[in-house]
Amino acid sequence: MKGQYNHLIARRLQELGVDSHLMPPSTPLEKFEAMGADALVMGGGPQSVRSLHELTDELRDASNLMTQIKLPMLCICVTHQLMATTFGGKTDLARKPEFGPVEVSVSDEDTILEGLKPSFTAWESHNDEIVAAPRAFRVLASSENCAVQAMVHEKMNVFGVQFHPEVYHTAKGVDVFKNFLRIVREQ
Amino acid sequence: MTLEGFRPSSYLTSETARLRETIGDSKAIAAVSGGVDSTVAALVAKRALGDRLLPVFIDTGFLRAGEPENVKASLEEASLGLRIKLVKAGGRFLEATKGEAMAEEKRKKFRETFYRVLGEEAQKNGCDFIVQGTIAPDWIETQGGIKTQHNILVQIGIDSLATYGFRVVEPISELYKDQVRALGRHLDIPKDLSERQPFPGPGLLVRCIGTVSKKKLELLKSATRIIEEKLGPFNYDQYFAGVIENKFTEDPLYKSLDETAATALGLPKSETRVDVFKDRVTGVKGDTRSYGLLVGLKIQEDNRDTYGWLPEKLRVAQSNIVEKFAEVTRVAILVKEKRGGPPLSVIVRAVSTRDFMTAAVAQVPWKILKDIAESILKTGDSSRVYYDVTPKPPATVEFE
Repeated sequence: MKGQYNHLIARRLQELGVDSHLMPPSTPLEKFEAMGADALVMGGGPQSVRSLHELTDELRDASNLMTQIKLPMLCICVTHQLMATTFGGKTDLARKPEFGPVEVSVSDEDTILEGLKPSFTAWESHNDEIVAAPRAFRVLASSENCAVQAMVHEKMNVFGVQFHPEVYHTAKGVDVFKNFLRIVREQ
Repeated sequence: MTLEGFRPSSYLTSETARLRETIGDSKAIAAVSGGVDSTVAALVAKRALGDRLLPVFIDTGFLRAGEPENVKASLEEASLGLRIKLVKAGGRFLEATKGEAMAEEKRKKFRETFYRVLGEEAQKNGCDFIVQGTIAPDWIETQGGIKTQHNILVQIGIDSLATYGFRVVEPISELYKDQVRALGRHLDIPKDLSERQPFPGPGLLVRCIGTVSKKKLELLKSATRIIEEKLGPFNYDQYFAGVIENKFTEDPLYKSLDETAATALGLPKSETRVDVFKDRVTGVKGDTRSYGLLVGLKIQEDNRDTYGWLPEKLRVAQSNIVEKFAEVTRVAILVKEKRGGPPLSVIVRAVSTRDFMTAAVAQVPWKILKDIAESILKTGDSSRVYYDVTPKPPATVEFE
């Protein structure tokens, strides 16, 4: 993905001792198998994903990848929104966009947000937002402007976050990655 | 590569080997600025090439007062042992960028002049390669279309050999700032160099918001000296000034800004005033470049003093304004003004950041800000001093 912060995702994961690699969403499934990948994290980017019919090639690949791959998955920012669009939810222009620090309130400490109740400061940068989470997903956190800051699939280890856990100023972002990695190890 | 897992010594070994292989028996110029990136890149290259490396410092005219001489002196310190060739090209850079108000065009014209001058030096000195201190955020931002960093060519498809007559080598292009500093410490560079705050390649050019002029440059130089002196003792990662002309937009769209600001600050509407500057500034909203507007926020002077520095209220005002007005990328609060002064404003900026991918506004004590503003206004070259209260995102660290 083209997002500026995607290198930081790889960096954070490496800091946590993970052998992580940046790969384009067009990467064939066999390649993930061949490298023995345990999990997939998808980052953000500048594009809009309001309609599945108007995706850029890269995002169409990302959408296909998330429906086909059978690995625990964490999707950030635009790919969090893409997950909603792909799995039958709805993404639209945010009534109030968010840039910079935002207070995220945790309603459900389940899985990736464990230990982050009642709220934490996260950094964001988005013009669009999920206006309806897909039915198979449960919302875990929200902010004053944005209803779906984090969500989890009811049956699979598939997660989405609107905020950027990978940037330095999201001080508790590392906990989100740690929680995710624990889930990957335990499954 | 991580700071925790980053091993300067092994990085140095593999990188010098790679440089020797790439450059072979040829000679190379190292483009140095005195900043930590180019200094570290030059030192890595010197390890690989020894005397076949010629460090060149270009005086672009957009440098701070005394900078060319200071940089030359500190890089030639015995411990570093770089022998610097100083090339004065201020006139060419000013000529090339004159009359251009658009930030991206200014940056591109700067880049063009920069590499022309380097190409001429390479030819004069029989060098086939240019070593430069490009780091990860430089090419990430340029490729992402956030802003054109002056040192990015190859990554955006410019063939440097065909265009300028040399090949580019970037020994630290995969590293982030904190890793570069760690490598610098390993190379024993003096602390004032390894921890020096970054100064952009195009220098004061991109802090002269809108068109560049000698008057704006002079004001910038004196304001920069004042800010560096007053904020030096604090531990902010970067602090500097921008200069903008007092020309404001009359667009009725922004009539309701006063109210947005007053509500957020909890003040009556009559006690706040908002100006929207005409010249544009660079920001990043939703991972995309946003070349937007700068809002100058003024609250009544007695309120300014009693309220003092209200980080939380100002933060809310800033974010409400930027959320509501898609074109606005930055908000600055007026610290002090002098009626009847020249129609120029100085914008003070200070941020905390680790990797320059995100940045938080530094909470400079109000007294210090007032002190800075008084000193700047005393020089008589400006009429207003503001403090930028916008994080990155939605702003960038630099103004253009």
